[in-house]
Amino acid sequence: MAKEESSQVPKRTTRSSSSAAVSNIVDESEKASKPHKPTVSEHGFGEEAGLSLDDLLSNFPGRRNQMIEILRLLGPLNSPNFPVFIYGGVSTGKTSVILQVFRHLNRPFVYSSCITCYNSRILFESVLNQLLLHRKSSGNGYSSAKRCEKPSDFVNFLREALVNVIDNLKRNSGKLNSNKCHGRPNGNVIYLVFDNLELARGWDKSSTILPFLFNLQDILKMPEVGLIFVSNSSPDTYYSNMGYIDPIPVYFPDYTEDDLRQIFLTNQADHKLYSSFLDIVLRPFCRVTRRVDELSTAFSSLFNKYCEPLSDLRGVPKEEMNRRLFKHIQPHIVPSLNDTFRVRSQPSFKDEANQQTRRKSSIKASGSREDFDKSDFHMSTSAKYLLISAFLASRNPATLDSLFDSTGGSNRKRKRKASVKSMEQEEITEQELLMKGPGTFPLERLLAIFQCITSFVEDSLGEEGTSELRIEGGGSGLMSDVLLQLSSLCNANFIIKGGSCPIEGSTRYRSTVSEDLALKVARSVEFPLSNYLYRR
Amino acid sequence: MGRDKEKEKQRQKRNPSEEVLNLLRSRLCNPNFIFRLFSDSPESNYSKLRFIISSSITEASNNSILLLGPRGSGKVAVLDLVLGDLLQEYPDAISVIKLNGLLHNDDISAFKEIARQLCVEHQLLFSKMASFDDNSQFMIAMLRECGLAHKTIAFVLDEFDLFAQGKQKLLYSLLDAMQSVTSQAVVIGVSCRMDADQLLEKRVRSRFSHRKLLFLPPSKEDIERLLDHLLALPLDSSLPHKYAAEFNGKLKATLADARFKQIIDTYLNSNFTVNHLMRFLFQAVSYMDLESGFLSLENFKTALSSIQRQPKMECIRDCSIAELYLLVCMRRLEVKEQNSYNFHSVMTEYKSIHDSFKTSDYYSRNVCLRAFEHLLQREIIRFTDTRGSSQSIDFRPVKLLISSAELHEGLKSYHSCPAMLLKLMDH
Repeated sequence: MAKEESSQVPKRTTRSSSSAAVSNIVDESEKASKPHKPTVSEHGFGEEAGLSLDDLLSNFPGRRNQMIEILRLLGPLNSPNFPVFIYGGVSTGKTSVILQVFRHLNRPFVYSSCITCYNSRILFESVLNQLLLHRKSSGNGYSSAKRCEKPSDFVNFLREALVNVIDNLKRNSGKLNSNKCHGRPNGNVIYLVFDNLELARGWDKSSTILPFLFNLQDILKMPEVGLIFVSNSSPDTYYSNMGYIDPIPVYFPDYTEDDLRQIFLTNQADHKLYSSFLDIVLRPFCRVTRRVDELSTAFSSLFNKYCEPLSDLRGVPKEEMNRRLFKHIQPHIVPSLNDTFRVRSQPSFKDEANQQTRRKSSIKASGSREDFDKSDFHMSTSAKYLLISAFLASRNPATLDSLFDSTGGSNRKRKRKASVKSMEQEEITEQELLMKGPGTFPLERLLAIFQCITSFVEDSLGEEGTSELRIEGGGSGLMSDVLLQLSSLCNANFIIKGGSCPIEGSTRYRSTVSEDLALKVARSVEFPLSNYLYRR
Repeated sequence: MGRDKEKEKQRQKRNPSEEVLNLLRSRLCNPNFIFRLFSDSPESNYSKLRFIISSSITEASNNSILLLGPRGSGKVAVLDLVLGDLLQEYPDAISVIKLNGLLHNDDISAFKEIARQLCVEHQLLFSKMASFDDNSQFMIAMLRECGLAHKTIAFVLDEFDLFAQGKQKLLYSLLDAMQSVTSQAVVIGVSCRMDADQLLEKRVRSRFSHRKLLFLPPSKEDIERLLDHLLALPLDSSLPHKYAAEFNGKLKATLADARFKQIIDTYLNSNFTVNHLMRFLFQAVSYMDLESGFLSLENFKTALSSIQRQPKMECIRDCSIAELYLLVCMRRLEVKEQNSYNFHSVMTEYKSIHDSFKTSDYYSRNVCLRAFEHLLQREIIRFTDTRGSSQSIDFRPVKLLISSAELHEGLKSYHSCPAMLLKLMDH
C-alpha cells in the first residue's frame, strides 16, 4: 500500500498519488473533495489508514524532523494538547505531512481549508458538516447541516456536535479494546485542522475571527479537542491589537538542494539516468527557485529533451554517454531557466478582499501574455490596430498626438542637449514613468489615433490594400464595429477600463500589454510602431 | 472485562513513561490544576474574588468587579475555580451566565445568549425567534425573579473591553437593572486592557463599582513552587513507586541546575505569564524521551530553541539567490532615498548592477517577476497602495518589510550566499 502511495513526484496526476506527493498544488483537488471523505468512516482515513512510521518518514524526504516534532506534540493516545501552528513557504509539504501523520496515527480529525471555505460562515458550516456527518446532496438541496454565521452560534453548535462525537468515540474505544477492528479511528481526542489560515486575514471581520480561532480552545474548554493551524505565513504576520497566547510553532523550511534531489529521485524508473540529469540541472534551477511544484514542471519537459538522444546511444560506454547527453542538454538549460515556469498555484499576492476581481483580471492578463509569447495568435486586423493604438495612447503623452496627422512618424526630430541638469531631470522623469506605469486615455483619443494609423496604412498600401482595412473614415458603421472590438479587448484584459475622470466624467482606459507584445503585434501587420513611440 | 484490565496493567508495567507523559500533559492543559496551588493563601486573588462573590450571595447584594491582567495570567481560570467552589458550597443559590466579547460583541447576540443560558439554567423553553426587546425584557424579569428567590446571577463578561464598543447597551441595561433593590447579581468583567474601565460611557461608569483585581505575573518563588507542583509525580498512584521516586529525584536535580534556571529566565524575560510558562513546559514535556522516561535538561533546551523563532530570518534563509538579488536591489534603492519603487524600478537597478559588476546570476524579466511574486507571497515585501488599483502587479509600488540589519544578518547566515550580494549591500 505504501509503495503504491509513494508516487512519482514530478508527474502528479492521479488523486491517490497526491496524498503522498510533496507539493501543495495537487492537494487543492484533494481539498476540494475532502469534506465528503470522512463520512465514509467517521472522521478519519478509515480503510486506507494504518501507515507505518517508517513508511511515513520515507514518504517525505527532508521532512523527518518536522514529522517527529509534530508526532511528539500530538503526543500519545488520548492526551490533551496545546494548539499547534504549522507554517512554512508554499509547496513545502505542510498539508500533506499533517494529513499523512493523521493517517499514520489513525486518529479522528476534521480538515477544512480556508481556500475552499472562503468566508467565516462557510468555514463554520464545513466544520459542523463534517462533525455531524452531514453530506451535501441534491436531496437536501446542497444545504449545510446547520446554518450559522456568527461565531457565537458556531461555538454552541460546535460544542454540541463535539460532545456527541466524543461520546461516540469513547464508546467505540471501549469496544475496540476487546476486538481490534479495522477502519475505526483510535482514541477519543478529535483534532480540528484549519489549513491556509493566512487567507482568513483578508476576510471581513478578520480582526475578530482570527483571535477567535486562536482562542477557540480556551473558549470551548474541552480537553478532548486539539487545534492545528496550517499557514503559509509566519506567526508574526498575524499580530493584531487583540492578542492571544501564541500556538506552538512548527516550522517547515524550504527544501534544500539535497532534499530536492531525493524528492525527484523517488520512483524514477531509471535512477542513474535521472540522477545524472539532476546533476546537471538541479543546481542552476535551485538558484532561481526551490519550489517543488515549479521545478517539477520545468524538469519534466527538460528530461524528455535529455532522453532524446538515448535511442541512438545504445551500447555506448557510460561515461561517454553521459558526456554526449550533457552536450545535448546544455544549450537548453539557460533558455528554459529564463522561460517562465508555467504552473501557477494560488494567486500569489494576497491583499484586501475587495481586490478579488482585479486580481483575477491581472492574472488573466499575464496568463494570456505568456500564451502570446508561445504561439502565434489569431485576432482580426482591426483589433490588432486597436491594440496598437491603445498601446500608443497609453505610452505617449497626449501632446505628441499631432504627429499622427503626418503620414509617418519617422520624420520626427527631437533634439536634446545633454547638460547635467537635464540628465538629472531625465532620470527623475524616467523614475516617475516607471512608477506610474501606462497612462490612461479617454475613448476619443483612442479612436482618433486609431483613425490616423489606419488611414496611414491605407495610404501606404495604396490600391492593393486588403479589403478588411477599407474603412471609411468617420462612418457610423465603423464606429459601432470598433466599439465592439474594444469591448472584446477589454474582456480579454488587454485594455482595462479604469475609473472615470472626475473632471470630464468620461470613462478612461488603460492598456496593459507589454512593449514586447505590442511590437510583435505591430510586426504581424507590418506597422512601424517603433517610429511612433515616444522615447525619453 | 477483567482480562482487559489485566492486559492494560501489563501494558503500563512495560511502559510507564507513556502514562507519565499523559499525566503531565493533562496537568499542563488543566488550568484548574495549575491555579489550585495559589488558592489557599489569604492574599491571593482567589480568596479576594471568592470573598466578594460569596458576600453578594450571603448578603443578597449587587456587585460588579473587573479582573485585569495580561493575557494568559489566569484571570478566567481563577474565576472558574471560584465559581466552581461556590457552586458546590451553595448549589442552588447561584447561576452563572458566561459571555465572551469575541462572540457576543453585538447587543443582539449578547442578549440572545443571555436568554439562552438563563433558559438552560432554569429549564425554560428558549425561543430562537424572540426579538431583541423580548430578550432584554426577559432578562430583567429573570433578574427580578431570581432576586425574589434569593438566587444570585453571576454575569461573566470575558474580553470586557469588546463590550465597551458601540453603544454599550448591554452593559447599561445590566448595570441599570442592578440598581434596583430586588435584583441580586454580580457582573464580573475580565479584560487584558488595563484601561478597560476608562472605555465606559459616563452613564455606565457611574453605575459601575470601580473595584478591580489585578493579576500580576508570578514571582520567582511562585514559579519554583509551580514547577514542582506540575512536574513532580505522585508517589501514591498506580505508577511503580521506584520509578516515580527516581523521576522526582532527577527532576529535582534538573530544577536546581543553574543552566535550567537560566533557560527559564530567558524564556520568562519575554513571556512572563503563567500560561506562557505552561506552553513552554508543555513543549518540553512533549520532547521527553519515552525510552528512558525521564525529563532532562536537553528537553528544555530544545523547547526553548523551537519556541523562540525568528520568522524573518527563516524567510530570508528560504529565499533563492534570484530573490535575494531583488531584495538587495530594493535595499539599494532605499539607500538612494528613492522611497517608492515598483518592479520596474527594481529591474533597472538589477540591470545596472549587472552592467557594472557582470554577475553570473542575471535572469530574464519573467523569471524575476516570478521571484518578485514569491517575495510577495513570503510577505517580505508588500504593496504600499492599500486600495486596489487597476495597475498590474509590476507597476504597483512596494516596500520592504525587513530592516537592512535583518537583511544583512540573513545574508550572512545564508548557506552559500554569493559574496557579491554582501558587497552590494555595503555600497
